[in-house]
Amino acid sequence: MDAILSLFFEHGASYDSAYLDILQVLTGMIAIVTLGGATAFMLTYFSRSFPSNSGPVVEQVNLLLPQTQCAQCGFPGCLPYAEAIVAGDNINLCPPGGQETVDALAKLLGRSSLSLENDTRDEPRTIVRIRESECIGCTLCLPACPVDAIIGAPQRLHSVIEQTCTGCDLCLEPCPVDCIDIIVVKDEIASDNAVLNKVAPDQIVTKKAAKQAKALPEQPLPTMTECIRCDACETKCPKDLAPQALYWAKGSLDMLQELRIDDCIECKLCDRACPSNLPLTQIFIDEKARIQQRKVELAEAERLQVRYEKHAARVLTQSKKLRSRPNKSDRSAILQSLMKESTDTSVQDPSE
Amino acid sequence: MPDTLTILFSTIFINNFVMVQFLGLCPFMGASQKFDSAVGMAAATTFVLTFASAASYLVEAYLLVPLNLEYLRIIAFIVIIAALVQFAEMVIKSTQPLLHQVLGIFIPLITTNCAVLGVALLNVRQAHSFYESIIFGFGAALGFSLMLIIFASIRERLETANTPLPFRGAAIHMITAGLLSLGFMGFTGMD
Repeated sequence: MDAILSLFFEHGASYDSAYLDILQVLTGMIAIVTLGGATAFMLTYFSRSFPSNSGPVVEQVNLLLPQTQCAQCGFPGCLPYAEAIVAGDNINLCPPGGQETVDALAKLLGRSSLSLENDTRDEPRTIVRIRESECIGCTLCLPACPVDAIIGAPQRLHSVIEQTCTGCDLCLEPCPVDCIDIIVVKDEIASDNAVLNKVAPDQIVTKKAAKQAKALPEQPLPTMTECIRCDACETKCPKDLAPQALYWAKGSLDMLQELRIDDCIECKLCDRACPSNLPLTQIFIDEKARIQQRKVELAEAERLQVRYEKHAARVLTQSKKLRSRPNKSDRSAILQSLMKESTDTSVQDPSE
Repeated sequence: MPDTLTILFSTIFINNFVMVQFLGLCPFMGASQKFDSAVGMAAATTFVLTFASAASYLVEAYLLVPLNLEYLRIIAFIVIIAALVQFAEMVIKSTQPLLHQVLGIFIPLITTNCAVLGVALLNVRQAHSFYESIIFGFGAALGFSLMLIIFASIRERLETANTPLPFRGAAIHMITAGLLSLGFMGFTGMD
């Protein structure tokens, strides 16, 4: 150490004080390094002990869920439920996954295992089917389906892809005409092969019948005969039309068309919403028929007008021809021109 | 106990760190666009300030003074503050991911908030005890939070106010901060 120090302090400088200074610097370095090391160690420890609830955990939980997207847990699908589980929701809300999923989730998250709530696995598997003769093509059931198992387009027949349908029955509620049936599937093979035609008719449970049975005890609302302008229909219209405005505009066809009556899909949702029990949809159907009729009449009128104008033009030219009969003095000139024309055509003839 | 109240009241109102001592102006201007994020920022800074003043006192009293290393004070304090900020960020990230997303870069920037280092150094200069240091840090944090939340609320109202064109944006914010500062300097008269 003395040899090293002598390199820096040559001319009789006090080795002792230099030695003390170096000791001081070394102490400082060790102290800072120790402080930094201790904090780094603590930070590492805490970062490991804090469960990071982003990404990976949600993904792991999501992988354990059955991915039926049936929404029976009360969430829109499996991933939202996985996020809810990580946020602290109960892990026993997934009937399709069964007790096995609950156990696996409990093991993953270090929570105590619970017994499955509303276990539906013993009940027969169901799917839905659309009664095609009654479907009005309103597309209201399409966004309701969590697994996109319904295909269809506006004003076109809808159909359920039976292999994909999870039987969650979420499409029954939005259907305005109750044309969706719940069908019990006898066994998995039947559903896989889509040989559902073998399902006996007595196994079909109609929502309509159930609804009617439920609706019977209810007192029918007092029938009113006039619109009270309550706006209840306007919130219900799936095409964002204003049934109330349409109702008041009935009779004035231009106004009705301005209010887009042609977009009405006749789903009858406004009829149901109306507290006055007005037959709105029937009124719109009639008005649409009148508009259609007027269109036909207008087209016919236009055709006739065109015909008349042609006729008038023809008459006019004929009368002009009659009036423009040449004078005697002009006759020779006309004859000459006619002669010239005939010679022109005779020259052109061979070329043709 | 009156001593505690004196320190607390002094740091919150009379010697408010933002308005009177002009420390920590970066988050005061930067993280006060929205009331919600201002509250989150205030909570994070309160946590860091309180614990940083306690930890810096411990390091000063049991590491630097016995080893005659007072000249390393700033470096040592910065290490502690940085560690505490990282810890606070971890807590926020795991408990409130949304707030973490909203605050973003401003959480690591608490490290460079001069109010934090200022509190630690002022504790040493004023020879506070351990208990006083904690009260001093907590009071400073409360004062900072108060200013941040007041200023964020004012800014939210300024957004919709009909400000003359030359004053819009940063100009009116500076003027507002100046008026606030004037108001807080009025407390000095009550000292």
